Amino acid sequence: MSPRPTTGHVRRPAILQAAAEVIAERGVIGTRIADVAERAGTSAPGVLYWFDTKDELLTEALSFADDRFYAELHGELAQLDGAPARLRRIVEVWPAEGDDEAVLWMELWVRALRDPEVNAARERLDGRWRAAIADIVREGQATGEFAAVDADEFALTLGALMDGFAIQLALRDPAVTPDRVREHCMALAAERLGLGEAHDTKSVR
Amino acid sequence: MTERSARERILEAAAERIAGDGIDAVRIARIAMDARVSTALVHYHFATREALLAEALEYSFETAGDVRDAEGDPVTRLRAMIDQCLPLPGELERDWVLWVELWLRAVRHPELRPTAAKLYARMNDWLRAAIEEGDFGDVDAAAIADRTLALIDGFGVRALLGDPAMPLERARAEVWNALAGELGLRAAAPSG
Repeated sequence: MSPRPTTGHVRRPAILQAAAEVIAERGVIGTRIADVAERAGTSAPGVLYWFDTKDELLTEALSFADDRFYAELHGELAQLDGAPARLRRIVEVWPAEGDDEAVLWMELWVRALRDPEVNAARERLDGRWRAAIADIVREGQATGEFAAVDADEFALTLGALMDGFAIQLALRDPAVTPDRVREHCMALAAERLGLGEAHDTKSVR
Repeated sequence: MTERSARERILEAAAERIAGDGIDAVRIARIAMDARVSTALVHYHFATREALLAEALEYSFETAGDVRDAEGDPVTRLRAMIDQCLPLPGELERDWVLWVELWLRAVRHPELRPTAAKLYARMNDWLRAAIEEGDFGDVDAAAIADRTLALIDGFGVRALLGDPAMPLERARAEVWNALAGELGLRAAAPSG
């Protein structure tokens, strides 16, 4: 009796976890479905049961890693006192996230150049990150810890600055260190939000 | 046909094809056909895809070099420099696609990192020199150049991908406003 194809017995999260690891190591082009299956302890049909293409696997794996990242981040932020400390934490976790996350983002950018669906997924993930920053800014404005700037504009600028530095970190530019990147980001926050000064809460929108 | 012109044709064709198809998918035979040379000659000049990408990028940057020597007063000059660094339609957009391909490729292939580091250092020196020559008072030109380049990449990649939150004009305005603010020029920031 021939063995039946094993499909669906390995759960989706296990496959996504494996996919995120393998893609970060080898890239989308260098990743074979069989590699992901092996890492997840299943067969290629077991992977293809859930995902039709490698690009789908990439975007889903990133969403999965993202969900986990935010769950952890929100837990950590809840324990911190005050919006400035929370913002500092956001700036700290990004370069400290390690190379894997930055590499997956680069994969996403390159694939997004030529694939509208990947680009849509990238926009969604990027919007979520900016919203996380903007939420902290609004909290700080409500308590008078931050100046009354446009929270979404600030999130866009800080997000762009962090990404630009993440590229240089991932390329291991000797002139750029995680500590230096944090200094730059906090300098931007201090300049735009006026960290540590008292602000009038009435003018906050 | 001289050796030099064949090499240049290969680099021009490579820049065009890599930007179109991506470094992973591009076919060397296609580049050879565009450049009107044999596939063997492409392989002779460029042993690996990494070498071809690195040289095509350098070539593309160098051919854009004449416009990089912007003239005028310091503010006009810095504004022109920012424009040269963003993915404006045409050759700059093509350079940008190669640039994004280089980021990922260099992470996967460490032998490309010196190329990336060299290009970053060149941009950084160029920007820092313009800030220093502009006589903007007591500013940290090196730190400002670092931040400006990071902002250019962060905003530029979004503009390149057509992110609705970051159209090109907005990227230009954002990068300029950030730089103008650091140089104490905020009030004088032109709108266009």
